[in-house]
Amino acid sequence: MMGFVINIVQMLLLVLAAPLLRGIISKLKAWIQKRQGASVWRPYANLWKLFHKEELVPNTATLIFRSAPVVAFAATVVAAAFLPVLHPAAFLTLDGDIFLFVYLLAIGRFAMSLGALDGGSSFGGMGSSREALVAALAEAPLFLVLTALAILARTGSLSEIAAWTIRQNFFDVSTVHLLALAALAIVAVAETGRIPVDNPTTHLELTMIHEAMVLEYSGPSLALIEWSQAIKLNLLATLMIGLFAPWGMSLTVTPLGLAAALGTYALKLACLVIGLAVVESSVAKLRMYAVPDFLRVASALAILAVIFTAITKR
Amino acid sequence: MDRLSGFFLLLICGLGIPVALFSASYAEHYTRANWKWYWSLVALFILSMVLVVVASTIFAFMVGWELMTLLSAGLILIEGDGEDRRRSLFLYLVMMHAGAAAVFASFLLFVPYAPALTLAAMRAAAGSLPAHLRVVIFLLSFAGFGMKAGLVPLHFWLPKAHGIAPSPVSALMSAVMLKIAIYGFIRLTFDILGTPQIWWGYLIVVVGIVTAVLGILYALAEHTLKRLLAYSSVENIGLIFVALGLALIFEARGLPILAALSLTAALFHTLNHALFKGLLFLGAGAVKHTTGTLDIEELGGLLPRLPGIGISFLIGCAAIAGLPLLNGFVSEWLIFKSLLHGSVLEPDPAVPLLIGAVALTSALACACFVKLYGITFLGRPRSDAAKYVVAAPENMNLALVMIAAACILFGVHPGVALHPLSVLAGTMIPNPTSPPEIASISRMMPLVAAAIALLVIVVLLLRKPASRSVNTWACGLPGLTGRMQYTATSFSKPLRSVFAAVYRPERKMDLEPPDEPYFPVNISYRSVRTTSFEKTLYRPIVDGVVAVARQLRRLHTGNIQTYLLYIFLVILSLLVVLRFA
Repeated sequence: MMGFVINIVQMLLLVLAAPLLRGIISKLKAWIQKRQGASVWRPYANLWKLFHKEELVPNTATLIFRSAPVVAFAATVVAAAFLPVLHPAAFLTLDGDIFLFVYLLAIGRFAMSLGALDGGSSFGGMGSSREALVAALAEAPLFLVLTALAILARTGSLSEIAAWTIRQNFFDVSTVHLLALAALAIVAVAETGRIPVDNPTTHLELTMIHEAMVLEYSGPSLALIEWSQAIKLNLLATLMIGLFAPWGMSLTVTPLGLAAALGTYALKLACLVIGLAVVESSVAKLRMYAVPDFLRVASALAILAVIFTAITKR
Repeated sequence: MDRLSGFFLLLICGLGIPVALFSASYAEHYTRANWKWYWSLVALFILSMVLVVVASTIFAFMVGWELMTLLSAGLILIEGDGEDRRRSLFLYLVMMHAGAAAVFASFLLFVPYAPALTLAAMRAAAGSLPAHLRVVIFLLSFAGFGMKAGLVPLHFWLPKAHGIAPSPVSALMSAVMLKIAIYGFIRLTFDILGTPQIWWGYLIVVVGIVTAVLGILYALAEHTLKRLLAYSSVENIGLIFVALGLALIFEARGLPILAALSLTAALFHTLNHALFKGLLFLGAGAVKHTTGTLDIEELGGLLPRLPGIGISFLIGCAAIAGLPLLNGFVSEWLIFKSLLHGSVLEPDPAVPLLIGAVALTSALACACFVKLYGITFLGRPRSDAAKYVVAAPENMNLALVMIAAACILFGVHPGVALHPLSVLAGTMIPNPTSPPEIASISRMMPLVAAAIALLVIVVLLLRKPASRSVNTWACGLPGLTGRMQYTATSFSKPLRSVFAAVYRPERKMDLEPPDEPYFPVNISYRSVRTTSFEKTLYRPIVDGVVAVARQLRRLHTGNIQTYLLYIFLVILSLLVVLRFA
């Protein structure tokens, strides 16, 4: 029973704390750039504001335009139900949920790409087409990374993989883990549209990917999109933690253990976020046609990770 | 009749209903004579497929098999017999007969061992076949059925033939006729031959994955609705063969539960592909019927004009892209799960790498169907054809909605189809128990569906319903037109440039006069989006055949005395042979 409550709490944590994570990243970036920066709670205020604004819909748009953000949001939240956060178990688990998790995120992308084309402007098509490019090239390395870890842990469930990893010694880091982590980091950056693949703050036609897709959106729909995007970032960060550094997750359901788990989770998230802020402040965005090369690196790393499972195993 | 035949019979007849319903409106624009031809040939075409799956003798099987080809060829001719059409049709017939010859040869090899050419007698005789003969039979049937199914490199007739048939017939050809080849392959390899060797599985998996990746890449570059769908059929057939190959590998390794899992995945994907590809081809027919064109660059903004067709087509696209809550996801998940089992077992990295290849295929399929749907049904109309459409007849809407409903049912509650299919897989593979994945995914999908539905409802209730319709942002300039939108060509451009090695596009720019490149009088530009490798692969074969035929033509002098000499020589040589043999 207690475990069930924790499963719900950790899922809500992923969904509700997502805007905070975004706020922290902006704050850190501001500090690195010697600016004051907005409050870390700013994304919540922004969502509140957008939810109460009037929504403008292009006159060519159909029902797809307004339902896409809702579907994307729902699918992203349900994907959160599969991730282990505080303890190596999740609200929903299935032997093979690594594939279901990725596909749930794909629902959001599919819906948003169609919503973008529904606006009837060239920006939407541009964003949609570029998103398709990034997604198509990022999917294979993502699957390979998950497969490599599934082979090591001999299970296809995210929670079970986390549980298996906890039982291993941290200092026995295998080559597979290193390669897979590197590949997953690249994929996560691409999937969440961060620099160097995409710049979440740009509105320059030549470079924008995700922003071009959502250019026509306003009001509550935009709020849902921003929130889903924040959750997605949180999900991929938590996925990295759960797969590669789950140590600290509470194995028993005690208040102290859970507090410690929350603390270590926050610490690990902080490390990832600082890394992201430093990268985003120091690296320039890649040219559109250099992105495939970047993702090819991820594919190569992921392929090596899978090949190394065959060598290190048994 | 066993469960396997029953399943395929259900597939044929189940899809026959919406196709017939759709045809009632589709065939209206035919002349009286063509109308009669259409209905009688469609009925016979469906019957010929029924004959193949219920046949218990090879004779009946081959008669059905050949009729299937000939009747579909007849149906293709209903919509005209121009030069292009005849060339495509000729290609189709040549390839199909070559395939049929291979299939027939694989059956004939049983002759010395089986007392009669019935399926039962062949199954009984399979054990006594020498090993090398089993290999030959397997290879022949793989080539023959693979030709019919459209495996790369034997696929290139497929988009040509399926692209020019009347749309309901394309639906039958892609959704059902290709599956008959799957039926034949399962029947011969799993049911009759049994006890496979492990390399058979690897061979099929490799051919399957190459087919899947190339199929979807070609589909992505294609901008004619039905040709795109036909290439996507090639992709899906590839995925089905990947699953079939895995089943053979597992069976050869003595892992019946995993083999049953892979075979169930293959069968379920067969069913699913029949559903959504039937839906999409009928949808393409409806688009053609209402707008008069199949070129997606001419379309756009069809959803508000054809709501029933538009929504069902969206479900078909999402299903074929493998999104959860629809049937395509469940079968792809089962394939991934089989591959994962294979990866955990295998000490070699080839099987897990296949997961990457299947993931690439499915991501490209997602991009391809976003393109197809977004360009065709969303945004602004790109031409008058798309702007002023006639309303779709109720029959067409109903036919599409029927199939879309099945796609949702099998996606949200896959158990209804998976449990019977796993029993069927159990009859093909000796003594398995039902794989645990069947039960687990059947439990999980309704949960996920409920969760998503609940969230959607909550958000819709909480969201402010009011919205104001405004002009799309045009950078402050007045008015956007349909031509300013992204087209299918521009949508697929980034991916086409990444995979340029596969497409090998040809671009040629000529400047006149050539010695003054900066002040040209005349610029001519020519580009071919894709040049497929078939040209390089098949050209030598075709050239060889033609060369041999040309040499043989020398025998035909047209002189009666020469022919009499030939007859005399033949009789003489026969007498000599018979004397000494």
